[in-house]
Amino acid sequence: MTMRVLLVEDDAELRRTLRDALALEGYEMLTAASLSEGLALAANATLDLVVLDLGLPDGDGESLLAALCRRESLPVLVISARQAEGQKIRMLDAGADDYLVKPFGVGELLARMRVALRHRGTRVSAALTAYRRGAVHVDLAAQRVHRDGEAVHLTPTEFKLLARLVRSAGQVVTHRQLLADVWGAEFVEHTQYLRLYMGQLRAKLEADPAEPRLLLTDPGVGYRLAEPDEDPAAPLMPS
Amino acid sequence: MRIGLDAESSWRLRDAWPAMLVWAAAAAAMALLDGRLDLANLAMLLVLASALASLWLPGAVSAVIGVLAVLAFNWAFVPPRHTFTVDLRQHALLLAAMVAVTTIVSTLMAGLRAQARRAQSHARRAEQLRQWGETLRDDADPLAQAGALRDALAALAGVDVALLVVKDRMPQGNDEDAAIRVGAADADQSAGLWHCLRQGEPMGPGTARHAELPDWYLPMRGRGISLGAAVLRGQGTDATQDPLLRAHAQALCDQLGQALQRVLMRRDEQRARDEAQSQAVRNALLAAISHDFRTPLATIMGAASSLAEQGARLDPQQRQRLAASIVDETTQLSRLTDNTLQLARLDAPGVALRCDWESAEELVGTVLRHARRHDPARRVRARLEPGLPLLWCDALLLTQLLDNLVDNALKYSPPEAPVEVLVRRQAEQVVLAVRDRGPGIAPAWRERVFEVFRRGESEPKGAAESSLAQRARAGAGVGLAVCRAIARAHGGELRLRPRGHGGCSFECVLPLREQPPQPPAEEMPP
Repeated sequence: MTMRVLLVEDDAELRRTLRDALALEGYEMLTAASLSEGLALAANATLDLVVLDLGLPDGDGESLLAALCRRESLPVLVISARQAEGQKIRMLDAGADDYLVKPFGVGELLARMRVALRHRGTRVSAALTAYRRGAVHVDLAAQRVHRDGEAVHLTPTEFKLLARLVRSAGQVVTHRQLLADVWGAEFVEHTQYLRLYMGQLRAKLEADPAEPRLLLTDPGVGYRLAEPDEDPAAPLMPS
Repeated sequence: MRIGLDAESSWRLRDAWPAMLVWAAAAAAMALLDGRLDLANLAMLLVLASALASLWLPGAVSAVIGVLAVLAFNWAFVPPRHTFTVDLRQHALLLAAMVAVTTIVSTLMAGLRAQARRAQSHARRAEQLRQWGETLRDDADPLAQAGALRDALAALAGVDVALLVVKDRMPQGNDEDAAIRVGAADADQSAGLWHCLRQGEPMGPGTARHAELPDWYLPMRGRGISLGAAVLRGQGTDATQDPLLRAHAQALCDQLGQALQRVLMRRDEQRARDEAQSQAVRNALLAAISHDFRTPLATIMGAASSLAEQGARLDPQQRQRLAASIVDETTQLSRLTDNTLQLARLDAPGVALRCDWESAEELVGTVLRHARRHDPARRVRARLEPGLPLLWCDALLLTQLLDNLVDNALKYSPPEAPVEVLVRRQAEQVVLAVRDRGPGIAPAWRERVFEVFRRGESEPKGAAESSLAQRARAGAGVGLAVCRAIARAHGGELRLRPRGHGGCSFECVLPLREQPPQPPAEEMPP
């Protein structure tokens, strides 16, 4: 089945380039140059994914995101310029699946799209329950973590944090989301908790905690658990 | 400090005791000399006493006492004694002479006393002006002296005083937020104060403006500008009594006005200097980036136009190479843009950082992940002291700083030489160092390396040209400048240190903050 993707981007050159590149990968492309056009298309077409630029001429990408997020299973990828830092994080907290900072390569966009599509529907259907990458294997149902075939002992909080990242494997999860889901809504400002527990998790799971391959940092935004091996598009271990 | 200027009004009974003494002495002398001297000589004593006594008495009082004294003399010494029968022919002259002398003396004395008082009050006012000037001369915040001015004016005129002083420049409307008030003023007086402030002229009785007003309004004037106004309430009623009072009050007000203007001018001067400096930085930045941007743009243009025009004639490998060079140069341009934007942003006053508690290990991990793209040989190594405290910083900026330093180190050291990222604690600071084994940097360049490189200006030539000059030409200028700006924005510093066996170490020192509370410790499940 062909995936239908809506691309909302006001720059004509970039819009055409991305449309052609994605069409070549087999996606059915709809494009919009403005917020209103995007809203109209989103209202009248069945979509599988939206790629949304933040700097639109006729308004804020956030209002489109709000309209789209009402359809629970529709993944949204945000494209932003580097200056739009605060807005990017707000969009992620509001339900966007991931983000890309301009300029980006097509390969990177395709990888993010694949992850987002794989997660599609997880908010309504059953979430991922197992994760495997390299030597690390996480079984959420059995609450077990193995590294090199040996059981790794995690504290309850460490496990909760890891589980939350596994459920969004390959995608960025913002500090706020992690703190709210693991510690509770009143702890969303306690970033230091994350620093401590991520450090502990890395010490237990990473081969070289100083250069993590699994628990990746998106500075100023959040954390990203590297994509699991099962994804056929993901390389087994990047050099 | 009530300064009365009318001698009569300030005379009091207790000031008269020397006069009473004189009269008592004269009476005693006359009683003693009665019978030994003739009447004419006694009368001379009487005239002397009257003249002496009038030194301490106002003219009218002296005259009355004189008349009474003549009557008493008449009664006591002039035959027939103990009657008031006056032999006019004998005593009219005496009486007239006494009254005349007494009046002349006391009038002269009153004049002298008034003059002395005026001189005293002038001296006091001159001293007050001098002290006030002294107070204001070096005061960085003359606004704070408004209360002192109000007290001085109130004491001077003996009336209620209210002030209105503008904080900076004259606001468009009567904006109360742009001014401070000292003392209470009603709506009329408020409007009067604003009017006086705008006109820069005194108003009220005795002035040429609005003489019908009950109050005096005095502006606080600087040169060609007024910065405040004072109202002296009810001063109008006796304004005519002392024409100098208003002049003195005005002088006090003007001194504050001038002090305020001095501060304003100093502020303007600083602003102009800041602007000129940031303009210079901007110019240097523009010169540097216009060069740095052109180089990758030229490569991209070359590769892309070749693909567009000769694409069909190129073999797939050539096409691939051109495309790859476009991707590489675009990455370079993107970093350059980030650095330039960041430098411009950090250069602006009042820049807001997005600080949070960050772990040095994570920041370095991210930088290593970025570096691996151009570091397939894994030359970059990280060494972190265990148990490092958290840093309160802007994660994006600090990664940008480390990215730039690592990128530089990789670019300007031999392909097999190691590059190290070191993080260690040093007293109340954390040091993040990026060290290479490149050719190093000549001492003359160790500071200039952080300046935004100015092209076309005095570049060292020939043999003196160090690796730094090459670095700068390759576009490191903006990169290192932004690194230093980032370190300083965090209250830290970025320095360059030569290494013992060659190469250099860029060290970013960041101050430590008190650590945030950590979550409660957890028990490991069985």
